[in-house]
Amino acid sequence: MSAEDKKENVEVWEDLVRIKDLVISLAICSVTSLGGYLIAPESQQPLIYGLIGAVLGFIISTIVIKPKRNFSYTDEE
Amino acid sequence: MDVVLIGQMAAAAILGAALYTIIGIAPGTDETAVLAPVTLVLVISGLEPILVLTFFIAAIVAKKLTDSIPVAVAGIPGGVMSAPMVEHAMVLKKYGKPDVSIRKMASGSVIGTLISVPLSLLLATALVPLADVIEQYSSQIFFFGAIFLALMTKNRWFAVLSIVPFAFVIQGLRNLYWGLDIVPEDTTVFTSFFLGITIGPVILKLFELLNGRIRRNLSRYGTKTIEMRRTKAEKGFPNPFKILDKNETISSVVSSIFGVLTFFMSPVGMTIFLGEMVASRIKDPVKRAARAISSMDGLTNAAYLSGTLVPLIAIGYPLSPTALGPGHALFNAPPVYTYEHNLHHILSMNDFVMATVIGAVIAIGLTFFITIKYAQPICAFVFKYIPHEAMLGLFFGLVMMLAYMDAGFLNIAGVLVIGLVAGFLHRRGVNYGVQFMTLYAAPWLVGLIF
Repeated sequence: MSAEDKKENVEVWEDLVRIKDLVISLAICSVTSLGGYLIAPESQQPLIYGLIGAVLGFIISTIVIKPKRNFSYTDEE
Repeated sequence: MDVVLIGQMAAAAILGAALYTIIGIAPGTDETAVLAPVTLVLVISGLEPILVLTFFIAAIVAKKLTDSIPVAVAGIPGGVMSAPMVEHAMVLKKYGKPDVSIRKMASGSVIGTLISVPLSLLLATALVPLADVIEQYSSQIFFFGAIFLALMTKNRWFAVLSIVPFAFVIQGLRNLYWGLDIVPEDTTVFTSFFLGITIGPVILKLFELLNGRIRRNLSRYGTKTIEMRRTKAEKGFPNPFKILDKNETISSVVSSIFGVLTFFMSPVGMTIFLGEMVASRIKDPVKRAARAISSMDGLTNAAYLSGTLVPLIAIGYPLSPTALGPGHALFNAPPVYTYEHNLHHILSMNDFVMATVIGAVIAIGLTFFITIKYAQPICAFVFKYIPHEAMLGLFFGLVMMLAYMDAGFLNIAGVLVIGLVAGFLHRRGVNYGVQFMTLYAAPWLVGLIF
């Protein structure tokens, strides 16, 4: 825990992010979404490819980046 | 109506409810960003119209039920619509009652749905004769709506004065695209501008991170600690009328009726306005917060359903912020639906009633049950494993893609411009309601001046 307590996170849209991780995630998701849309074969629905790309980017980001939250249950009462 | 079709409708409703139960919990998921693209894909894929509508109704009801969960537990809005409730939910959280928040909000949602389904169908029937007039004056309605909402904000004169310049920015970009032949003259770029406004505050923040001086001055944090008090699971099927006390039930019902009648107004604006009205007279902070969130949730749910159903049944044009945003694909999704041939023209009144009732009942049955019973474990999963960065990335990626889809690479810059302006206005107190209404009224407003 001590290594993570270095205060390096900033708040964007009501939750904490690390700037470096945010840049990585924005890059991954933009590339996968736009890329999916652009590589869609002719006569197919490019939107579907784009959406698949977006979801893929989201999953990759989720795996690569750790949430900046310490979550615990308190058991009193 | 045959049994096979009813079975398919039930399946569509279950799918919609299940999918949006999960999506609703994810913090920050904007209704338009998550509903519009999926609905669009379903329409274009050629799914039967009645099934699309059933799916959509189940999806909004489920989404509106679950997006209160992150608000209650962590004070993170589960969507744009739940942002106004954060303040009140935080009060309950401070008093150690996040589970009370969830139950009150979800029950408010159920009341909103129960009120708005029959009332919207009635209102739609009543409005059919007026449809031509309303359609003719829709821009004026949006414009005066924007002024009205602007006057309701704290920084009212700033908000009022921002309407015309903002409309100019929007129309200016559209004219640029027409002038450069990026989009045909009869196409109005809409979806991506809408999303630009939605994520405006985030875009502004991201740009500020590029500025070294601002970046160094930002407050820095370690990790956020979220503690949840473990609560006992509810027994049996929860009853919303037992969860809310008499006063809360009454004000939820009244707000829901109000939400249906103001279907053409921005639901976010109305929620803020009404929430303050309902709550301001109560002294006890816990009671005040509980009353406010149950009424607000009732209103958002009712406004969302009526905003979809009334224009769809009565008019066939998307004359409400909900219809223009999340529900836009039901009205216009070329080549399958156009303004001359969409659900309004295809479905009979009977079809509308069936789709709405099946969608709403299944979504309430499934999602209300899950929300009340399993709110804690679901929240725990999202907080533990889903990083906020991925959420922002997903949004940003979707906006980039939809911007490109609307008008090519140049529109990515265009959407960033809209986002920066909208984000600035938002920070100065011009809420989404005012901005959305300005977006809808922009062509008429600029045409009026020139």
